[in-house]
Amino acid sequence: MSKHHFDQQIDEQLAQLPNEVQPERDLWPGIEMALAKSTQEHIQKPAYKNWAPMALAASVALVAVLMFGLRPGDQGQNLLASLSAQHEQQKQALLVAFKDQPALTDNWQQQLSDLDEAAAAIKKALAEEPDNLALLKMLQQVYQQQINLIERVHTPKWQQI
Amino acid sequence: MNQQSNVVVAASRFSDQAESRIIEAVKAGDMQAYEQLYQRHVGRVYALCLRLTADRALAEDATQEVFIQLWRKLDNYAGQSKFSTWLHSVASNVAISYMRKQKSWWQRMFDIEDVELKDERPAQPGHQRDLELAMQQLPEKARIVFVLHGVEGYRHEDIAEMLGIATGTSKAQYHRAKQLLREWMGHE
Repeated sequence: MSKHHFDQQIDEQLAQLPNEVQPERDLWPGIEMALAKSTQEHIQKPAYKNWAPMALAASVALVAVLMFGLRPGDQGQNLLASLSAQHEQQKQALLVAFKDQPALTDNWQQQLSDLDEAAAAIKKALAEEPDNLALLKMLQQVYQQQINLIERVHTPKWQQI
Repeated sequence: MNQQSNVVVAASRFSDQAESRIIEAVKAGDMQAYEQLYQRHVGRVYALCLRLTADRALAEDATQEVFIQLWRKLDNYAGQSKFSTWLHSVASNVAISYMRKQKSWWQRMFDIEDVELKDERPAQPGHQRDLELAMQQLPEKARIVFVLHGVEGYRHEDIAEMLGIATGTSKAQYHRAKQLLREWMGHE
């Protein structure tokens, strides 16, 4: 089939795409709540935000390592231990901060646990190859996903506006 | 003009007038009117957000953000253009800005999207549902440009301004998207 024919086919299919798609859940209550809240006084910065500088420090350390490389030996192990410890502190602080707040989804703890399993698998691989930068990056991403998940299910995005 | 088209024009005019009244009520702070406005347009806004993000949860959040910001921006709507056109422009900008905010510092640092390989090829598209799926598989930048230009009809100059990229980059990403779709659809 020629390029011209393909372009024509794509154009036809694009023209047939539905203009509207309805979301699977009702988004209005969240919007209404956000608008009501936004008229209230500025929300105090939650205590868990105090962990942000620590998390940043861990990230900066990892970036430095990723940029300048790891020396064989204990450096990878030390970084892994430091990242894991700081992540655990940040995660626990968030869980405590949000413990009385309702979550927006029912299965977030299952998702958190799945991410825990993913982190454990990566750490197991890192035990074999402590200087593997790709694994370290992957672990950092999983940790970040956990933090995002906890914040996301407890604090609708409108609070950040 | 035949009777049927007269009816269509009259219905459209009635709908526009009803919407104008709703908008005026919203501007005066009427939350119930705002819910009506939301119900009228949520399908269109969500479709845009879903196609831009290719992620249901993100699209839901982005849609909420659009309507939260719209509440504040509605005073800027002077009624010179059709409301749905104006809303669509607001929604595109808010959704893109929202997606940017969601990208973590970590992702920006390493630009994960660029190294992510989209191995999963969609099934041979035979109708628009398959095109929707194929669009979701596109890399982020190519997908956003394809949705804005191909689906929404924005000019590359406008897309470049919205995304803070060069016009040539927008065209290149669109070309890349079409090439990928062409490969996936077996027209190589």
